[in-house]
Amino acid sequence: MMKKLLEDFKYLTYVIFHPFDGFYEVRFRGKGNLALGTIILILYGLLAIVKYQYTGFIMNDNPLFAMNSVTTFIFGIFPFLLFCISNWSVTAIFEGSGKFSDIYTVLTYALFPKLVLDAVVVLFSNVVTAEEAAILSAISVAGSVFFAFLVFAGLCVAHEYTAGTNVAMIVATFVAAIIIIFLAILYITLIQKAVSFGYTFVTEFMKRW
Amino acid sequence: MTKRIISLITLVLLCFTFATAYAEHTDDSSYIYDYWSSANQSLNAFELSTVINSDSVEGLTLGSVDDVYVHGDKIYIADAASNAVDVLDTNFNLVKQIKIIRDTEGKIVVDEDSNKQAILNAPEGVFANDRNLYIADTGNNRIFVLDINAVDETGENSYPMSMVINKPDNMVGSTEFIPSKVAVDNADRIFVVVKNSTEGIIELNTDGSFSRYFGVNSPTVNLIDFFWKSIASDEQKAKMSKVYAPAFTNVETDSDGFVYAVTTDTASEEMAFRFNAKGENVLRKFGYSKILGDLPTSATDSSKSTFADVAVSDYGVYALLDTSKNRVFLYNFDGNLLTVFGGKGDTKGKFNTPSSICWMGNSLIVGDSKLASAFVFNPTDFGALVLDAEEMYFNGDFDGAAVKNQQIVDMNANYDHAYVSIGKNQLMRDNYKAAMDNFRLGNDKTYYSTAFGGYRNLLIQKYFWIFAIVFLAFVTWVLWTEIAYSRKQKKLEEL
Repeated sequence: MMKKLLEDFKYLTYVIFHPFDGFYEVRFRGKGNLALGTIILILYGLLAIVKYQYTGFIMNDNPLFAMNSVTTFIFGIFPFLLFCISNWSVTAIFEGSGKFSDIYTVLTYALFPKLVLDAVVVLFSNVVTAEEAAILSAISVAGSVFFAFLVFAGLCVAHEYTAGTNVAMIVATFVAAIIIIFLAILYITLIQKAVSFGYTFVTEFMKRW
Repeated sequence: MTKRIISLITLVLLCFTFATAYAEHTDDSSYIYDYWSSANQSLNAFELSTVINSDSVEGLTLGSVDDVYVHGDKIYIADAASNAVDVLDTNFNLVKQIKIIRDTEGKIVVDEDSNKQAILNAPEGVFANDRNLYIADTGNNRIFVLDINAVDETGENSYPMSMVINKPDNMVGSTEFIPSKVAVDNADRIFVVVKNSTEGIIELNTDGSFSRYFGVNSPTVNLIDFFWKSIASDEQKAKMSKVYAPAFTNVETDSDGFVYAVTTDTASEEMAFRFNAKGENVLRKFGYSKILGDLPTSATDSSKSTFADVAVSDYGVYALLDTSKNRVFLYNFDGNLLTVFGGKGDTKGKFNTPSSICWMGNSLIVGDSKLASAFVFNPTDFGALVLDAEEMYFNGDFDGAAVKNQQIVDMNANYDHAYVSIGKNQLMRDNYKAAMDNFRLGNDKTYYSTAFGGYRNLLIQKYFWIFAIVFLAFVTWVLWTEIAYSRKQKKLEEL
């Protein structure tokens, strides 16, 4: 188990620098590892907490007194899961050949360089002055760009899309994500209304009889 | 046994100790905004000490208080309801009531055009400097300039007229000349605020002739309005309500010749101004929050503090008098909020319709027009420390200010900008570590960065050998790999 994980991690480093070839192997030759992906995602959530608290004072605008590590963790990984779900729902309709596990693997593998670079930024933010903070911001942005490119390449391979279709699908993914959030909020609000109606009804009933 | 007796005596004595902080007339607490714009509890810095009204001062009848001004050892109160300006000394005794303007010989001045006696009619503004007393005679659309130093044969101030300013012949624009408030800078330029004037403050020359309109106030631009205006036809535009430049409510000058102005118009983008000679707002805004008085509590909260008057001290601390929640906001020269006091209500220390505010030494006088009273607020122990610290800092006594600020944060740990002030002093003394701690407490990232830079340099100097070893090791490694590579190449070539 451990040996397999280590082997797949070695392959992950290959995937990052050769995304098209790498993701092809991951998708079609079974070189991906869901457990490894999940570990990266959880690490990223933990990094979000670390980032909140341990980013150096100069670059840290977070009110530490209002910190909630559970919320930070959830909000750290939630967007990626949402992206997985909405991308899967869109591509399932539009002839994308990738399974949900493929999308998940692509996304979590792509997160790895961002994870490393963000960790570096958090570390070095404690030893820079305001003038040098710009360099760290640049590194952080570089991580995000790297991530975006890897996701793009990975999804192209996973769904067997051309670049143009992939762009359209990613746009559709964001629209779908907004719809999902909208429906979720709608659902929660409705449930809340229903519960509060029931509660009021029962209270009224008990007060009168 | 003796130990027990001593501890018992100590216990009994402890029961009879009294709090020594001087804040006996107030149980209010103040608040102050921090880096995240949340209101934190603070100590009360001002408390009501004296009330000036018809009951408390012998011979004084006040119908309202529309303006208060203190210069030298005199307090001037403009009372529009009784058509008078009252002069009090600093012990709050009535010195003189000015209702009729007389000339140097003691005769009543007669207006040349209307052939009427010069009697004040609803004066709303008063201003004094070393030479003159200026009264905005609002009801008669004129400004009286009285000689402030002239005395009659009994040795009392007689305030004879030295000049009357009617509407200047060369005045341009559509603004009607109905002076409400008046202020004069140290070059004797006269600044006149006219109610609801959209053209700005009227600046007059020393002789009363018109100079220019002064100060620009820009209204807030509403994105939705902007959109509709951009697609509307000319006829539609003509029917839309026009957006006028918000009018100024009050004007004040500081010792450097800058003009402070405030507005009660909520459409205005900024509510307090410090104008340079070009009429640009150069109010320093280096505090944690904008100089708006009360900050909106949420994104949808549109309530705004509206300022009726501003009072500037010699050391740059200015007080803004809010008419929406009847509070007084004190800011220092840099724009840090120092304290808040007052409020709506009928209890002591609250206001009904505050109209004017003025410094008297380190005390503040707030005039209330409905209550026809002027309230004198003295600084508490905490307030005195705050004002002392600001005065010392403004005058360059940074060490003294740091000592005072340390006392302030000992009393009130929420007082964030005092930490920054202490930190700046420590930074100047190259005491980087302590400065960093204080900047962190005061949430000042810019100065923290400077202090941290210094601290880091010291560390690098101290542990230079580590850096040197790491660097040398790196260079050796690079060289070694190069050498190893070339050897390998050579061997390959030999083969």
